[in-house]
Amino acid sequence: MPKCTVNGIEVEVKDGATVIEAFMKTNESIAHYCWHPGLSVAGVCRMCMVEIEGNPRLQIACNTPVQDGMVVYNNSEKVKEAVEWTLKFHLINHPLDCPICDQAGECGLQEYYMSHGSYDSEMAERKVKKHKVVDLGEKVVLDTERCILCSRCVRFTDEVTKTNELGIFNRGDRSEIGTFENRPLNNKYSLNTVDICPVGALTSKDFRFRQRVWFLKSFETICQGCSAGCNVQAYYNENGFYRVKPVPNEEVNGHWMCDEGRDVYKFANKEHRLVSGIKKEDSGLSHMAPGAAAVQLREDLSDTKKAALVLTGQYTTEEYLKFVDSFTKNYGNEVYHWINNPKTFDDFDGILLRGDKNPNTVGLLRVLEGKGIKSSWADLEEKLNSGQIEHLVVAGPENLAVFPDLEEKVTLFGQAQKLTVLTPVKSKFYESADYQIPMKSFMEKDGTFVNHKGIEQKLGRGPIVVSQALTLLDLSMILDGSDFISVNSASMGGSL
Amino acid sequence: MFELSPEGKELVKKELARYEDKYSAIIPSLYQIQKENEGWVSPEAVDHLSELTGIPHSHINEVLKFYTMFNLKPTGKYHIQVCCNITCSMFQARELTDDLCQKLGIKEGEVSEDGRFTVSRVECLGSCDNAPAVQVNETYHDNMTPEKMDTLISELK
Ligand code: SF4
Ligand code: SF4
Ligand code: FES
Ligand code: FES
Repeated sequence: MPKCTVNGIEVEVKDGATVIEAFMKTNESIAHYCWHPGLSVAGVCRMCMVEIEGNPRLQIACNTPVQDGMVVYNNSEKVKEAVEWTLKFHLINHPLDCPICDQAGECGLQEYYMSHGSYDSEMAERKVKKHKVVDLGEKVVLDTERCILCSRCVRFTDEVTKTNELGIFNRGDRSEIGTFENRPLNNKYSLNTVDICPVGALTSKDFRFRQRVWFLKSFETICQGCSAGCNVQAYYNENGFYRVKPVPNEEVNGHWMCDEGRDVYKFANKEHRLVSGIKKEDSGLSHMAPGAAAVQLREDLSDTKKAALVLTGQYTTEEYLKFVDSFTKNYGNEVYHWINNPKTFDDFDGILLRGDKNPNTVGLLRVLEGKGIKSSWADLEEKLNSGQIEHLVVAGPENLAVFPDLEEKVTLFGQAQKLTVLTPVKSKFYESADYQIPMKSFMEKDGTFVNHKGIEQKLGRGPIVVSQALTLLDLSMILDGSDFISVNSASMGGSL
Repeated sequence: MFELSPEGKELVKKELARYEDKYSAIIPSLYQIQKENEGWVSPEAVDHLSELTGIPHSHINEVLKFYTMFNLKPTGKYHIQVCCNITCSMFQARELTDDLCQKLGIKEGEVSEDGRFTVSRVECLGSCDNAPAVQVNETYHDNMTPEKMDTLISELK
């Protein structure tokens, strides 16, 4: 393990590590555009210049291996001047359209201009005009004038997805990122190119122009989209959630996440949510506070001889533990696991995406096993078909998009004399249920998801969207006899 | 649909085997395509080559669009390529190009009405010592002047 000195700080790095990695380890800042820890080295942006003692010329840190005893710095006048010049070159043809650029506020060019800018244009030449608002398919938009040709996006499609859609076409100051014959960039991970693009050249159709990034707050949590359990940063303000981006975790998702997972913030927003408890009465549907509906459900269940519970893999381990416990204690051992897509459940695309579109199937199975519950879906179907179940309680999904069998299953459940659906989101299929009780979404609660590998990961609680919605923990307390519901509305962001 | 001749395919196969990196076979293969496709490389031809070699079409396109010696559209019978890189530009190659276009009544890259000429600006032809250098199809013409250009055009039938 070679040792080197970075701006006077001694640091030990892995064999074969590069100088930029030594900088990362010391937290000394170093300008860079093309280097990315999840991609190969390109060495094309020339921003990462450093001075190495004993070496008369400046070197790029990203492509220079650390040698034992190396003394490196990037705070000398020589380096500062070099980086300033490099940035000037990057900006020669830049359109400077920050006011209409979606990257503004989190842009590498703006950021380094603050530290390395010359604040005085020396260019008399006309700028080269290139293509703007290039439609790259379903999800991504390209502005080639803003591109600094760092090639991160090209390396991503070459090395990570291996779909090779992107290339750099033409020469010199006319070089542009593009796809052959304008074919779409429609791989399942395309939005990662937007994240790694250090400037506003690649932007997301979903997020574009919806919010300036400085109006957003964020917190870290776990993607709800499948059993991979990618680590994500969720962005929100008082109007709701706006986007999620991946957070690096070597063990789980590397640096990336899939495009499907980018949509998981949507159903947590108010317009998709069930906000009040609903009870079906002879006179029609009556709306009430979620806690009140839960209390009525408890009374209703208390005269039931044959109740059963159906669980989806969409809740936290803590919720399963407590809820399965109170349900079985109060109403017996009928607990079933609803698998939404049995045919593709075990699929894996070789990168991240799992066929099991639930974040916590493993957590659920562990709890059921721990409680010694062995039940089969066929059993439940038979009991429902033969009218043996009086009251069925279903802890339904929040991500309805990955439950193609929803309508069919709700029809099946309807064969119980009474049906209760616990659900964070609204659905027209639930209208026939006797009780609908609003639940919190994964964005609004603490707890654990266990991914397909068995790695336990904690959710980070964000702002509350539906303040009276319950968790399965709240509901367990009610089923156990409490009329008092602890609504945990204290949170990082407060209520939306 | 464009397809290389059996000899063309044979050449591509040989080139693929010749280098340790198969991307190195792109240039000779594109030359072959251009030869067999009336002097230019069409998008279908790129797809064909991509299928043949397993090299992604985006990366073939990178090479195709980088070099001026590959034509992206059909050209006239005589493709007049004027070098406008540094040395030749210092010897009035840009003015020479403008002048030529005006005389032929075409813009760069266009084909003249009679189908005879296309004019394009190209990068260094490696003939800087004879600047300005002009290449017509495969033939070099050195130390060009507007007068020499006039004579040359009248000779190209
Ligand atoms: S589009 Fe963005 S990521 Fe791609 S080369 Fe340009 S600046 Fe880099
Ligand atoms: S792979 Fe799964 S967990 Fe990861 S982002 Fe996609 S849906 Fe979410
Ligand atoms: S980060 Fe080193 S050259 Fe771009
Ligand atoms: S610059 Fe024209 S031949 Fe080299």
